[in-house]
Parts: sequence; structure tokens; C-alpha cells
Amino acid sequence: MSAISREGAPPARSPKLLSWQRLEPILLHTVLIILCLIVLFPIVYTLLASLRPQGFGLSREIIPADGFYFGHYERLLSTPRFMRNVLNSAINSLGGALLTTSIAAAAGYAFARLEFRGRQVILTFILAMMLLPGLTNLIPLFKLASDLGILDTYLIMILVYGTYGIPFGIWIMKGFYETIPKQMEEAAAVDGATPIQALLYVVIPMSLPGLISVFMINFVYNWNDFLTALILLSSSSMKTATVGLFDFQNQLTGNNNELLNAAAILIMIPGIILFLIARRSFLQGMVEGAVKG
Amino acid sequence: MRQKKIYPYLLIAPALLFITAVTLYPTIFSVYLSLNRSRRGVLEFVGLRNFEIIFNSGDFWESFRLTLIYGFLFVGLVMVFAFLLALIFNRGLLFGGVYMSIIFIPWMLSEIVSSVMFRWMFLPEIGIAQRLLGPIFGDITFLGNDAGAMGVVIGATIWRSVAFAMLLLLAGLQTIPGELTEAASIDGANRWQAFWKVTWPLVLPTTQVTIVFLTIQAINAAGMFLSITNGGPGRATEVLSLYMYREAIVFFNFGYGAALAVILFLLNAVLAIVYIRSLRSQVTYA
Repeated sequence: MSAISREGAPPARSPKLLSWQRLEPILLHTVLIILCLIVLFPIVYTLLASLRPQGFGLSREIIPADGFYFGHYERLLSTPRFMRNVLNSAINSLGGALLTTSIAAAAGYAFARLEFRGRQVILTFILAMMLLPGLTNLIPLFKLASDLGILDTYLIMILVYGTYGIPFGIWIMKGFYETIPKQMEEAAAVDGATPIQALLYVVIPMSLPGLISVFMINFVYNWNDFLTALILLSSSSMKTATVGLFDFQNQLTGNNNELLNAAAILIMIPGIILFLIARRSFLQGMVEGAVKG
Repeated sequence: MRQKKIYPYLLIAPALLFITAVTLYPTIFSVYLSLNRSRRGVLEFVGLRNFEIIFNSGDFWESFRLTLIYGFLFVGLVMVFAFLLALIFNRGLLFGGVYMSIIFIPWMLSEIVSSVMFRWMFLPEIGIAQRLLGPIFGDITFLGNDAGAMGVVIGATIWRSVAFAMLLLLAGLQTIPGELTEAASIDGANRWQAFWKVTWPLVLPTTQVTIVFLTIQAINAAGMFLSITNGGPGRATEVLSLYMYREAIVFFNFGYGAALAVILFLLNAVLAIVYIRSLRSQVTYA
């Protein structure tokens, strides 16, 4: 097993030391710092390898002696096929996230604020859909898309990404709307606004943080998706960055590992940046999506 | 008044429409597909033949066995690490947020990106993990060894999932009011006793939810297996989800693949029911 299994021992020992009031925080910080180093290790090791000339890996050195080499990144950024794959990822992820966010914004509001027949049943149905992973769906989806002639298009990717995120988006938005005071809509109604106007001009603007977090979480999820895109896309001009990376990994010849590693690092960046920008809403969103439904 | 009645349904209609078209209908369609055989792209109804073939196939049972082994090790190990971490984070340490962000980074990586990293670390003869851990495990080449390859996937998936499981458990721990453990310590319980008598029973429902969540992930882990080992060496890591993918998408056996998907779907559905039940049994003590 990987390096991960080694970090099990130290925290297990901590209960014995818990009575040592002053030592405890030091011990726990040490454990966490070691753990963080282990967690970051695969990423850093790959990053270092991407900053070395080709074939360097065979020398077994981890840090190059004669400075970093950025040639692999320059080469990738000027390779039309790689950039096309990245563009495809951006189009599919953006389209999917926009679709999810707008649909979830409307439905979440109905579940949070309005009373209607079948509300609970429909809500449970949507929760159940969230638990059914896309995997078992992929075969019929492939067949259906192929029969409809929309395999290998932006349309099918945006439809699928946009739909997979809906249940999660509804939960998050429902929770968010429930924190907004009802008086806002009531005041709008008194001023003569229709319910739809109240939603569009009063509630939605106030829910912007929730909408943005649903959008970002979905964008990162779509960006990182690999299996759905692998199955539904086939031509090299339509493939996404993750599928391109998979092809590259499988066609790897000789000692081209440095270039492969550089591609992996580039593809990793958007997700990490969005996560670090909106860390709090990501973490909150994930807990709410999973347990507070 | 009439307009008011329609309004909620108008708001949820797009959601239901998309879910029905992209999730529900394909699921039902896969049941139909599973009763067919495809020959040169033409479907031919064969009843339960596919299931009969599956249950008599050595490959299926071997994949089933591998899925069980993987599932138990993955869920068990993630739970142990995640629980210990959740207990540490629950102490409210300084910089807790920084640590948490760092251990969450692997969850933000694509499966294929994680795969490139782990394959690089375990590259025969060159990868650092191969060189450091190889001698400890009897000089094996991890990716060329049956148990070793499974070990690499288990390691990589733990690396990705432990933070998420930890977060769920932490959310559960944080609903337990501090007064309860304080009361226990006033009554003379030490921390060990307070944990087992107060914290553990209260966090048990969350633990169940987390286990179900991880089990669903384990059953559907095709992406990590496909990208790290591609089922190899031989069929040593060809878990059910990967077997299904290969039969349907690579060999174009839609009927057979769909029958496997139905079996996986039923496993997932049972787990989903368990999950919803344990959510309902969750009580708040605040």
C-alpha cells in the first residue's frame, strides 16, 4: 500500500498522551504536518519531475542539479491538440455548471419556500438520484446518444454534466434559501411584484454566494470528470483534457514521463485554484450535500 | 389562485425533465438492454440469458471477489484514518483550516491526474515509492504484481477519499454538544471512557452514513482502476465496474454490459436505501 498507510500509527497513540495538557497540541500539530507532507508528496514529486529535461527520470535524481527546465510546459502550451482538449474541457464544464446552477436555483427555491402536493416524495426521489452514480448509467446513455446521433458532441456532454449536478445543486440552494428571511419576498409582494419577479430581483441576488458555490463545485467536478467523457467522446477534436491525458498515458513510449507529468500538473491547476479560492463553500457544500439532506 | 398552484411545479419542472431524460430513462433503458443481445449493432431479445451467462461466468465471480476485497480494504482503512483525523480536527487546533485544505487537495484532482502521479511514483525501477517500498514488500514490482497493483489502487483511492470521509465524520462529531462529554468527565469518566460511552454512540449514525457513501464509491471505482492498472496485470484488478465498462464499451456487448450494470445498479440501490434510512435515524442533540 502507499505511503498513506504509514501515518496511521501516530494518531492512534495520542489518547495515552491526552492528559499531558501542554504536549498534546504539539503532538497533534506534528502528526498533522507529517500527514500533510505525505498527502502533498505525490503532487510535489510529479511537479519536480515535470521540471526536468526529458529522460531525466532514468537518473533517479529527485531534484535536478542544474535548475528547473520549463520546456515541457512551453511545448504543451504550444501544442494545438492539447490546447484544443483544454478548450473542450472548459466549454463542457462551463456549460454543464451553468445549466446545473440555473435549474437548481429554480427548483431549490420551490423546495425551500413553497408548499405543493408531492413535495416530500419528489425531494426524496431527487436525493435518491444523487446516490445513483453515473457509472451504471453510462452504457444506456452511450447507446441512446449513439442512436440519437449526438455522441461526440458538446451537446451531450453539457446535458449529462448539467444533469448530474442537479440533485446536489438543489440541496445546496434549498439550504441557502432557507437562511434568507421571508420578509424580503413579502415586502416585494407588498410592492406589487409577482412571485417570479420577487424570485428574480430579490431572492436570486441575495443568493449569489450560494449560486457561485454551486457553480464552482460543479465546474470543478465537470473539469475533473474522466470516465463520462471517455465513453461519450471519440474524436480527438472533441476530447477533453482528462481524456487526452488518459490517451497520452496509454500511448506513452520511451521515457516521455516528464511531459506526461507536466500535462497532469497543468490539468490539475484550475480545480486546485477554485478550491483554494472558495475553500469554505466547497467544504460546507460537500457536507450539506452528503449528510444534511 | 390557479397560477399560484402551478408556480411550484413550473420551478421544479426543468430539474425533473433533465433528471428523467438523462438519469431515470437510461436506467430503465438499461434494464431493457440487459434482456437483449447485440449483434452487429442490432438488438435481439434473449430474456434472462445474459444474467444466466453472467452467473455461470468465472470472470464475473472473480471480478466480484476482487470488488469485495477492494471494497473491504478501502472502506475499512479509509474509516480508520478518517475517524482518527476527525477526532484530531474536532479538538479545534490552530491552523486547522490550513491542514484541512491541504488534505483535501487530492479530492480536487481528476482520477486520471491522480493516476499519472501514482503510476509515476510506482514506475518500475525508477519511481520513488517503488524503490522505497519495494524492498519492504519482498522486492516486488508493484504494478506488475497481482496484490501489489491492487495495493497501489487502494493506496491512491484512500489518498483521494480520506479527507471527504473525515469531513462527514467531523460534521457528525460537531453536532455533539460539548456539555455531554463535560458531564461525563465531571461524573469521573476519563477521556477514553467518555469517548466510548458518549461520543461513539452519538456519532454512530454518521459513521453508518459515511460507510455507505464509501461503499458506493468502492463499487463504482472503475475510473481509478481503469487509469492506474487497466485491470492488470492479467485480470488481477478487474473489479466489477471495470469488467462492465470493458464488456460494453470496449467489446460492444451492450446487452451483457447492461446486465452487469443492472447488477451493479441493484447493489447501489440497496445501499442507497440503507443510506436514506440511516440519514432518517440521525438525531440532533443540539
